[in-house]
Amino acid sequence: MNEFLMLFLEYALVKNFILVMFLGLCPFFGVSKKLKEAIPMGIAVTFVMLCASVITWLISQEILIRFHIEFMEIVVFILVIASFVQLIEMIIKKTSISLYKALGIYLPLITTNCAILGIVEINFQEGYSLLGSVASALGAGVGFILALSVMSGMRERLELSNVPKSFEGLPIAFITAALLSLAFVVFGGIGL
Amino acid sequence: MKIKELTKGIVKRNPIFVLALGLCPALAVSTAIDNAIGMGACVIFVLLLSNLIISLLRNLIPKEVRIPCFIVIIATFVTLISLALQSYLPELNESLGIYVPLIVVNCIILGRAESFASKNSAPDSILDALGIGIGFTISLILISLIREFLGTARISIFGYGFGFPFAPINFFILPAGAFLVIGILLALFKKKGLVR
Amino acid sequence: MRESLKRVVVLTLIVLISSVVLYQAYNVMEVEERTAAYEQLKFEKMLQTIFPSETRDVYNEENDFYRIYSEDQCIGYAFMTIGKGYGGDIKILIGLNNDKTIKGIEIIKQTETPGMGVKITEKWFTDQFGNTTINEIGLKRSGGEIDAITGATKSSRAVVNAVHETVIEKIKLIEKAGEKK
Repeated sequence: MNEFLMLFLEYALVKNFILVMFLGLCPFFGVSKKLKEAIPMGIAVTFVMLCASVITWLISQEILIRFHIEFMEIVVFILVIASFVQLIEMIIKKTSISLYKALGIYLPLITTNCAILGIVEINFQEGYSLLGSVASALGAGVGFILALSVMSGMRERLELSNVPKSFEGLPIAFITAALLSLAFVVFGGIGL
Repeated sequence: MKIKELTKGIVKRNPIFVLALGLCPALAVSTAIDNAIGMGACVIFVLLLSNLIISLLRNLIPKEVRIPCFIVIIATFVTLISLALQSYLPELNESLGIYVPLIVVNCIILGRAESFASKNSAPDSILDALGIGIGFTISLILISLIREFLGTARISIFGYGFGFPFAPINFFILPAGAFLVIGILLALFKKKGLVR
Repeated sequence: MRESLKRVVVLTLIVLISSVVLYQAYNVMEVEERTAAYEQLKFEKMLQTIFPSETRDVYNEENDFYRIYSEDQCIGYAFMTIGKGYGGDIKILIGLNNDKTIKGIEIIKQTETPGMGVKITEKWFTDQFGNTTINEIGLKRSGGEIDAITGATKSSRAVVNAVHETVIEKIKLIEKAGEKK
C-alpha cells in the first residue's frame, strides 16, 4: 500500500508530467484556456493512461519479455495506444454524441500525447509491477489534471488583464507555466 | 530542387516557435547544448527517413489506414535510432532518456508526414524534412545555449568548453527555467514580427 | 470487402516488414552485448574510484556483495544499495575495507534536483564517507560526521541513511559468508 501511495504522489507532484517532465504539453497550451474544457480533457487523458498502462503491462510481460523481443516495444506500445484511442472514439460516438462533440478533435490527438506514451515507457523502463504501473498512471493523470486546472484558471484571468502586445497568447502562458513549475518544486519534501 | 522548401522550415515554419510543435523534447532536453545537438540529430534522422518512405509509398497506402501505417513507419525509425544510441552512444542515450522513444509522438514528424510527405514527391519531401529538422535543431540549440550559459556559467560542446566568471543561476536548469526561456524568446520573436 | 482486405493487408505488411528490419538491426548492432559491456564498464570505473589499485572483483551471489581482490589478497568488499531521495531512487555503490570501515562511496544513479540535490554526486560530498567507521555515518546535526548539502538536506540524508543501514546489514552477511568458507 505504501509503495502504491509513494508512486502515486511521486508522479502527481514531484515528477508532475506537465510542469516537471514536460509531457503532455500540446493539450496543455491548447486546451487550457477554459477550465470547462480542461477538466474533461484531463479526465480523458487519465483514463487512457490507466487503460494503456494495464494493457501494455500485460503485453510487455506476456509477449515482449517472454519472447525476448523487447526491441519491438516502441512499435507495439504506440499501436496499442492508437488502437485503444480509436476504440474509445468509436464507443463515445455510439453512446454519447454530446460528449463526442465536446471533446472534438482532441480525442484522436490523445494518441500523439507524449503523456500517454510517456507513462507507458516509464512503466516499462522502470520495471514497475502491475500495481505500480496503475499507481504511476493514476498519479500522472491526477497531476496532469491538477496542472491543467490551475493553469486554465490562471489563463482565464489573464485574458481579462493588460498584457504587453508581444506577450499576448503563448508567451505569457509559458511564463505562467514557469511560475507554476517553480511552485511545484516544493513538493519534493513530502515524506516519501 | 526548390530551395524554398528547405529554408521555410527554419524561419517561416519553424516547428518550435511558429508551429508550437515538438515542445516536449525541446524543453526537457535543452539543459545542455550536447543534448540539443544529439536530439536534433535524432529527429532529423527520423524525419528524413520517414518522410522519404512515406512519400515513396504514398500511393500504396489506403487513406483510411494511413495514420496507423505512418505511425508504424515512424516508430520503426525511432526504434532504429534508439537501438543505435544504446549500442554506440550510451552516454547520450542516458542523457536523452525517455525522450528518444517519445520522438514517435513528436507532433512534428507525424504532422509533416500527414500534411506534406503523403502528398508530395520524394525529393520535395526530403527537402521539407531537412528544413524542418534543421529549424528544430537550431531552435533547440538556441534554447540550450541560453539555459546552459545562464544556469551553469559554462558552455561546452562535446567536451570542449569554457567557463564564465559569474555565479550560475540555477533557476535556468530547472524545468521552470525552460518555460521562462521559451516564453521570453516567443515574445521577442513576436515583437520582431517573426511570429504572429 | 476488397477495400477492407486491402487496408488490413497493407497495415499488417508494414508491421511485418518493421519487425524484420528491427530484428535484424538488433542483432547487427549487437545491442544486448554492447549494453551489457557498457554497464560492466561503468561498474568497473566506479569500483576503481573507490579501490584505486589494480583490482578484480568476485561476486557472492547469495548475499549480493562483491569481494575485492588485489593480487590475490582480499582487500575489501563492495555492494550497492538504493536510497529514497527527493526525486526518486538514488543508487549507491559502497566500498568496505577488510576491517569493516568504509572505504568510500560513489553515486551511480540519481534524479535529484539539478543544482542542489545533484551535488551528492560531487567529490567533496562523497569523499566525506571515505575512511569512516559505521558510527560516524550520520549527518553532523544528528551527531555524525557528514556535512549535508546546503538546501538539499533530504538528498543528503537519503544517502546517509541508505549507507548506514546497508553497511550494518552487509557486514552481518559478509561475516556469515566468511564463516562458511
